[in-house]
Amino acid sequence: MMSVTCHNLEFGRTRFDLMACGCSSNASFYGSSNNKGVVRNVDRGRKLLSCRRQVGRCGVFSTKSPEAFLNGVAAGPPPVLDLTKESKRPTDLFEVVAEDLLTLNKNLQSIVGSENPVLMSAAEQIFGAGGKRMRPALVFLVSRATAEIAGLKELTKEHRRLAEIIEMIHTASLIHDDVLDESDMRRGKETVHQIYGTRVAVLAGDFMFAQSSWYLANLENLEVIKLISQVIKDFASGEIKQASGLFDCDVQLDEYLIKSYYKTASLIAASTKGAAIFSAVDSDISEQMYQYGKNLGLSFQVVDDVLDFTQSAEQLGKPAGSDLAKGNLTAPVIFALEKEPKLRDIIESEFVRRALLRRPSILS
Amino acid sequence: MMSVTCHNLEFGRTRFDLMACGCSSNASFYGSSNNKGVVRNVDRGRKLLSCRRQVGRCGVFSTKSPEAFLNGVAAGPPPVLDLTKESKRPTDLFEVVAEDLLTLNKNLQSIVGSENPVLMSAAEQIFGAGGKRMRPALVFLVSRATAEIAGLKELTKEHRRLAEIIEMIHTASLIHDDVLDESDMRRGKETVHQIYGTRVAVLAGDFMFAQSSWYLANLENLEVIKLISQVIKDFASGEIKQASGLFDCDVQLDEYLIKSYYKTASLIAASTKGAAIFSAVDSDISEQMYQYGKNLGLSFQVVDDVLDFTQSAEQLGKPAGSDLAKGNLTAPVIFALEKEPKLRDIIESEFCETGSLEEAIDIVMNCGGIERARELAREIADQAVKNLQCLPQSSFRIALEEMVNYNLERIK
Repeated sequence: MMSVTCHNLEFGRTRFDLMACGCSSNASFYGSSNNKGVVRNVDRGRKLLSCRRQVGRCGVFSTKSPEAFLNGVAAGPPPVLDLTKESKRPTDLFEVVAEDLLTLNKNLQSIVGSENPVLMSAAEQIFGAGGKRMRPALVFLVSRATAEIAGLKELTKEHRRLAEIIEMIHTASLIHDDVLDESDMRRGKETVHQIYGTRVAVLAGDFMFAQSSWYLANLENLEVIKLISQVIKDFASGEIKQASGLFDCDVQLDEYLIKSYYKTASLIAASTKGAAIFSAVDSDISEQMYQYGKNLGLSFQVVDDVLDFTQSAEQLGKPAGSDLAKGNLTAPVIFALEKEPKLRDIIESEFVRRALLRRPSILS
Repeated sequence: MMSVTCHNLEFGRTRFDLMACGCSSNASFYGSSNNKGVVRNVDRGRKLLSCRRQVGRCGVFSTKSPEAFLNGVAAGPPPVLDLTKESKRPTDLFEVVAEDLLTLNKNLQSIVGSENPVLMSAAEQIFGAGGKRMRPALVFLVSRATAEIAGLKELTKEHRRLAEIIEMIHTASLIHDDVLDESDMRRGKETVHQIYGTRVAVLAGDFMFAQSSWYLANLENLEVIKLISQVIKDFASGEIKQASGLFDCDVQLDEYLIKSYYKTASLIAASTKGAAIFSAVDSDISEQMYQYGKNLGLSFQVVDDVLDFTQSAEQLGKPAGSDLAKGNLTAPVIFALEKEPKLRDIIESEFCETGSLEEAIDIVMNCGGIERARELAREIADQAVKNLQCLPQSSFRIALEEMVNYNLERIK
């Protein structure tokens, strides 16, 4: 069975990370032009998804559907950013900071891997993948865009370190998300959790949070330290908010936006603002960069949530709406609930069903 | 079945936290003077362990033995620090900072609980327990002991916040340890993990780490920020070191001490040094406070590792040596391995044969491993006391010295 796997483990975040693999959507498909083995969410707005499996050019692995997990087989460590292939928009977007991203990848692998051989493998698993490094790319783009104002010729080492910190935090949260989700699904071989177990996954996540906190502290910039600490706090709050609001049909749009801010936009906003801070531009500009990151992040999340409905239907008829299946009620659902009361009954009855499954004693 | 449960979840750390429940060891035992339901590791050096179950005065729950888990039943939320009861030394040691600790407990519950009702329950589970708050107590003691030098009349809010941060970090690490250990054992109802599941446990731990990082950042003291960030990094490194060194009979004493530093002493050293920093004393004194905390922490860990062998044997014949069983080779074993080559074979077999663990424990007990470990703990403890010499005499300094001695008493 053809399969596609991605080492950029993401769950509950914007899927922009998954999508931007730099693969040509028209590359020939090993052995078949059939769409078998296509994984959801890989290719936004593209009808055909393909990756050259053998070459291991790219793997995209969605942690969201069980079928994908069973199909998931690594094709070997894919290169992070392949600029030689005919590529689509995301790669082009980041082409201007491609070298910065290559350096970033090397540094990340060595930061994480040098501690321990097991972590090294886990690190390759995580950082050696086809992820687009959207957040670090944003740091580099904003850094360079603001450097001009500040008269900087080159990125500072603080800029680079900030990007590494951001990507470590992002990745640590993904690894923990995989652990959090363990009870719901079996993952394919490729997740840290699946290969190395819960223990290593929790440890690896903790290690990366710890490393990023340490590097952050050693940047010795109180404003940025506070900015990023707020993000880590927001992450945890967002996860908790989401976990405690599952199947809650009274959720309002602003709550949804707050949760989306915590889970996605907060980190992006801190990335863009932090980059501006290190360019030493006026605070007005830093604030605008913050808003840019926040709005970009929010719009990502909303798009992500739309695609959770629309994309699967287009693809192989795999079940759509895994957010909804888990009780995570996002923008499309919130709007639909306003229009169609029957939806509420359906969602709430699922809630009751789940509750009974968890507590069979209730029935006795 | 009588049972004792403790909300101060600790695994792999010094058991001093578990032991110091402030219970009188002579309190009458509900329905029986039998020792049934006594949980291992609760009472260092005491033959009788009892807690008044009904009153819920105290619960001590060891996460280390399956029997304890099955026995574990909460008796209701115990008060954190009960000064009215006839109490033993740990409470006395901290009596001078008792009010500081009460305030701390209230603050912790509100910091953690205010976010979410589920976290609130988990917070009560964690913070409402009989834990002695050893680390915050050290922060308060050092703060007050150094405040005199600095001419401070009262603890600063930075001192208090530091203590809260330290305890949150400690607790978060315990919660994650419980998750890490999940695969080995079923826990009793009382752990966050058991009641609320892995998800909540990982989340609660992440939340507390995040909260403590945020409060730390807002203390706006770069030196302390870097100090504590180093600790969190050390924690993770220590866990990884331990996990990747299981059953490795080539482990050397210094590696063991490094791992013990990462897992236990690092946080304590940062607590004591941080307290000194906020008292704005000379850096010489801060350094001595760091060394004190480090030596105290290391000697705690060694004592802890000795007790893992000696205590279980005294108690109800429950299996001893859970560290050894898991392949975590500590000081007594390292010393024993030097003397008795047969031990190596047994360990490397990972105790696949019935009775091999017991045999290994016997070897460790009989070939001087325990004595040498005791000696090691004493040597390190002596260093800790020396580190206090730069402090003026005060009831606080005495309490700090007593901490060191009290720890050693556990393995007399």
